Formats: sequence, C-alpha cells, structure tokens
Amino acid sequence: MTLKKPPRFAVLQLSGCAGCEVSLLNANEWIDQFDLAFMPLVTSAYDVPEVEVLLISGGVRSDEDLHNLRQAVKRTKKIVAVGTCAISGGVANLGNRDEVRRLFLSQTERHDLPRLLPKSQPVDTFVDVDLYLPGCPPTPELFMGALLGPEDFVASKTVCQECGRKKLKDMKPAHLTGSRGGEVDPDICLINQGYLCVGSSTRGGCRALCTRPGHPCVGCRGPSDILIEKDSQVWLESIQRIFAAMTDIPAEEIHEALLSPQLSLFLFQFSDYAGTGQAPRPKEKVL
Amino acid sequence: MTTLTFPLSRIEGHARVEIEVHEGEVISTRFQAMEKRGFNLMVQGAPAEQMPVIVPRICGVCSTAHHVASVKALEDAYGVQPPPLANQIRELLLLGQLIQNQATSLFVFTMPDRLGVESIFHITDEEADQTSQFNIAKRALMVRQLGTDLISLAGGQFIHPVKAVVGGVSSSIDQEKADAFRQRLKAALPLACELVDYYWEISLRMKDRIGTWGDDQPAYYISSTERDNPRYNSSIIRVMTPAGECCREFTANAFRKELTFEETDYSYAGRTSYQGGVIRANSLARANMTRSMGIRRADAYMRRLRREFGHPAHPILLFDLCRGIELVYAIELASQLLEVDFSHQEIDLHYTPRDGEGWGLVEAPRGPLIHHYVIEKGNIAFGEFIIPTVHNMLAIERALRVAAERYIHDDQVDLELEQAVGRVVRAFDPCIACATH
Ligand code: SF4
Ligand code: SF4
Repeated sequence: MTLKKPPRFAVLQLSGCAGCEVSLLNANEWIDQFDLAFMPLVTSAYDVPEVEVLLISGGVRSDEDLHNLRQAVKRTKKIVAVGTCAISGGVANLGNRDEVRRLFLSQTERHDLPRLLPKSQPVDTFVDVDLYLPGCPPTPELFMGALLGPEDFVASKTVCQECGRKKLKDMKPAHLTGSRGGEVDPDICLINQGYLCVGSSTRGGCRALCTRPGHPCVGCRGPSDILIEKDSQVWLESIQRIFAAMTDIPAEEIHEALLSPQLSLFLFQFSDYAGTGQAPRPKEKVL
Repeated sequence: MTTLTFPLSRIEGHARVEIEVHEGEVISTRFQAMEKRGFNLMVQGAPAEQMPVIVPRICGVCSTAHHVASVKALEDAYGVQPPPLANQIRELLLLGQLIQNQATSLFVFTMPDRLGVESIFHITDEEADQTSQFNIAKRALMVRQLGTDLISLAGGQFIHPVKAVVGGVSSSIDQEKADAFRQRLKAALPLACELVDYYWEISLRMKDRIGTWGDDQPAYYISSTERDNPRYNSSIIRVMTPAGECCREFTANAFRKELTFEETDYSYAGRTSYQGGVIRANSLARANMTRSMGIRRADAYMRRLRREFGHPAHPILLFDLCRGIELVYAIELASQLLEVDFSHQEIDLHYTPRDGEGWGLVEAPRGPLIHHYVIEKGNIAFGEFIIPTVHNMLAIERALRVAAERYIHDDQVDLELEQAVGRVVRAFDPCIACATH
C-alpha cells in the first residue's frame, strides 16, 4: 500500500479534543509518503474527497457529526477509528450517566446550532470500522503503524512489558498511595510503590509513555489482546489478582478505585462498562 | 435580509461565521461555536485528585494549560505550595505548550493565508524558492515539534501531560536529557528566527495587497503575565485600558466580580466583557502589557514591533506577529531554564487533601485560564472552566463587523470577504474545544 503514487488519506474530526490530530502532526514521516487530502484543522477543504484511508477522531455527539460521518465514509476504502473518543464515545461518555445527561441536555440545547444527540456515541454504532487505533491520543509511532500497515507494527502485549520497572517481591504496600506519594522511585514498579497502575492489563504499543516518567497507566490503550474480547468483569478480576499477589492492599479498596471515572474513561473504553451495549471488538481489528 | 455563512477551517474545533446583511448594510456578525461536550457537568462526582488527568482532554491543543491549572486549583483548595523546582518544571511545560501552539497557529493555520495555498503541505517548491531556499513545511513542523517534545520531557506524556501533581511534579528532568534538549533548542533558535522573519515579511506583503493590518477600535486588554519577564505559570490577572493604562489587578478567585459573563443563544460558547467594554486576550494583549521580555532575541523583536506599530498597538493582524515573538521567546527562555541543576532538589511535597474551594490560574497561549473547583467528600461537587477564547468572543465579532463593512457594498459583496473572515478569526486563534468544553 505504500508503493507507487502516495496514497491519499483524510482526517475527519468529530467531537473530540484535537489531541489526536496534534499527535498526527507530530508523525512528520507521513509528509513524504502520503497525500493529505482533507483535515480541516490544517487544510482549507470543506468536503472529504475520494481517499484510500479515512481516519476518524472524536465521538458522535451531534446530528452534524452524524451527517458528516455518513457522508465521509462513502468516499473511502478503509475506515480507521482513532482514539478513545471515536472508539467509545470518549471522554464525553462520562456524561452518559443518566443524571448528568438530563442536566446536560436541559442546559445546552440551542436553536440555531447542531442538535446534540442524547449521548455521545462511538463511531462504530453507525458505520463499520476496519481498524481501531486506541490511545488518548495514539502516539505518532502508532499513527504511522496504522497508516503503513498494522501487520508490520511490532509491540509488546502489555504496557508492563514495555515499561522496564523492576517488580519486587518484598515491597508490599498496605494501601493505595493516591496521587500524594511524594517523589516516585524511578526504577521500581509503580504497584510496589502503591500506585493504581493498570499497565499489566493494558495493550502495549505506547512504549509505556506514562509509567516511565512515574505516572501510573490509566489504560488509554484499552485492554490487551487476551482480555479485549472478554467481559469487563474479567479485566477487573485480572487486575485484582495482580494487586492481590503484589500488595497487601484490601480487595475492596482496589475494587472501588477501579470503578473511578478516570479508569472508566480509558481502560474500559472497549467494554460494556458505560452501558453502550456494544459487542466486543475483534482483536485482529485493534492495533 | 440575507445571511452569509462561512464555515471555518484551519482553526481548532468546529465553528462558523454568520453575517446578516440588509441592502448592503451589515446588520450583525456572529461567531458560532458548534460543538459541546459538557466537561463542567461531566466532572461532577469525579475524585478531585483525578482532575489533572481528566481535564487535559478538554483540548489536545491546550491540554498542558488545563493540566497545570487543575493542579493549581487543587493546591489552592488544599493549601499547598509546591517547591521552586516543581514550579520551574511547570513553567517549562507551559513554554512547551507555547512553542507548540504558536508554531501551529503561525505556520499551519495562518501561513497559508499569506501564501494563498490550501495548506502548509501544499506549498510548492517554486513558491518556497521565491523567497528562500528551505522547505518551509518541514522546518515549521520541526520547530513545532520542539514544543511537544518539551512537553514530553517536562510532562511525561506528549499531548496530555501527567507529571504535574498536587504538591509538585511526580519526577524531575533527567540532567542528561535536559542538556541534550538544550542543545536542540539552541540549534533551533536561528531556524525559528528565520521562519519568524519570513512570516513577518509575507505578512507585510499581504498587508500591501489587502491594504490593511485589520483596523478596529482599541479594546481593553487582559493578561496574567507580568510586566517584565513574563511567566506563564502566573498568579495575577491584569487589565489594561484601550489607552494603554493598567487599570486593574485581581486574583483568580475574583473573576466573577471583575468580568461579566453571558451565554448567547446562537453559540455553544459564551462571552465575557469588562465593565461593558470589549476585551482582548492572547498574544497582542501580552505584548501590549509587557515592558520587557528580559531575553535578547525576543526583546529585539519587541522593539521592532514597537517601532513599526507604536504602543499600545491595536490592528488585528498583529496578534499573529506577536505569536512569532513569543515563539522565539519560548525557545530562548526554555533553553535558559533547562540550565538549572535538576537533581538533589525537592520536587514534591506531602500534603493532606481536604474539602473546600480552589482556583487555579495559568496564562495559556490564548490568555488567562482559570479552573475553579468545589470539593466535597473528596469529589468534585462543582467545577467550572474560565476559558481565554471566551474573553475574545466580543472582540472577534467586532473585528468581523469591521471586515464585513469593508467588503460588503450596496450592490455587491467583494470576494475577498471570505478570506478576510478567515484571517480575522485566525488572528485571534480561537479554540472551540476549550471555549465550549
Ligand atoms: S481520544 Fe483523547 S486525544 Fe483523541 S480526541 Fe479524544 S480526548 Fe482527544
Ligand atoms: S502508559 Fe497507559 S495511559 Fe499512558 S499512554 Fe500508555 S496505555 Fe495510555
């Protein structure tokens, strides 16, 4: 696909934060290898032309998003859903709790503007997706992987394997550190230091971007291949087991922390957790 | 009555301009933000300590500013003062953001207007050759990438940073990496200056072609950077009168008293005013309110600005030129700040979280950004985000009216109007994802 005339690609931005686009701009290598036909953030085009690959970022939040999505997918051979928002409805999914949604709709309806849908939807609620590229946002390297051919992208199964921090047998915290742990030891596993890091269950490919400088992984890449087609309950249990083995933290404490909004945003983006009722995405389709 | 509608590209987010015209007379100019996610409602009930990871997702372009403002709001509520080195690392984060943002606005968003091309990726070699011998797109993206790389170095993640935590930062900067990055910044500084000179030059040419720098009446200016040696990890908001007098100073928690906010029914973003007057935030506001940048190259550009346009300066397109000055400034200053000793210094303090109320302020690329939280039982009971783009809404609409009146005549509409609308809006570099959140 990378040979001959440079393939044309387009980027359709629905309701998101543009972080995915900013990351793509960092992946400078595509400039020589691809022809960017449409990306409103950087080009003055208003309609998606015929392209080989369509990258879609952002969730479907308004009737205008939905219209643009339906128009754009007619003109492409391959559809890639990029980032948490396109895959799960995204951060706006947090607003899908019923009480927030009611409040939201009653406050924000305006007459002369695109109508907001009752909830923010993932792209694949409406169209078939050929490839999922999770990450909030996916790194430039992952973008290049998706463009050049996911078959050739080499990554570890989990973030843990890409992280390189040492797991110690004899360092067992009794409680979660929260975010007030003081300075983080640069070489020791964050779980040993009492952080709720879910890198062990999260798919690799980001090269352990957050954990290496000392921040626990919140799972923005979604679950690893062995978990991704299973129920979110299975992931919860797998994380529980790791904490049971490596720490003395009470199970209830872990359980409660795992249900926090920050994790529901990221790790559980592929699950039925937020009540999207979607079938699991096949792992072959996820980079 | 006719309504002219202009969809907008090369800005952050989804927006359009509507101009109502009746028999050649401009009735109204509206800037409409077209999207909404509802972060202020979504964060209700979230554990307060997770805010610094959640709120960067308000905007991938301004994520760093939200990250730091959020940590500062929590620190205000908990009564914690981070150690000096942590503040320095946060400043570096904000400078990374400034480099990234100003380079994007200059080269990706507005340079195509000056060259008459569809995008920076469509600049042909001949066009580039006419004035200079370099591949503009690649260079521009390289300078821009310094910004995201600095965010990674100081903030952990490259788009949605993670390293600022309540009480400080979660890890310091590796000394070797700091040194290597400083060398990169030094090497890039002359390149950035060349790009800024080139930008200034093509802006002058555009001005000759269209015959204006974008005149509009003077406005109030608002910024939270200091008069000398501006810093973006800021603490006081200042207001300047249209005549150039500093007339007011206040802290973040007083914003409701000082500024008037109102919603509109035609946009998902609201707008603010100061004592009934139009306000401007962003690069030109900072330039007008700064006496000295305190650093060599940037001060040379400042002197050029003053020489050519006086002080305070009001034409709209100067916002763009001022972004160039700040790009140079951020690269220069970041390389200076990276000279410190990053090891053996305290970077993080222990603290005890408590319920209460907090305000966090930073100077984002688009102006003063405030996060305001009320914390009950460790969770966010109320959260609001005071967005700099919202301060510029009235100013954008007023400048659009000036442009519309210039190009709409009794019998016809000048085709230049569409370009003018784009130029005016992009000069303010609005961020729709933030403005609506
Ligand atoms: S996935 Fe993350 S980076 Fe991408 S648009 Fe959504 S919030 Fe932004
Ligand atoms: S470390 Fe975790 S949270 Fe960070 S980028 Fe990787 S998957 Fe996402």
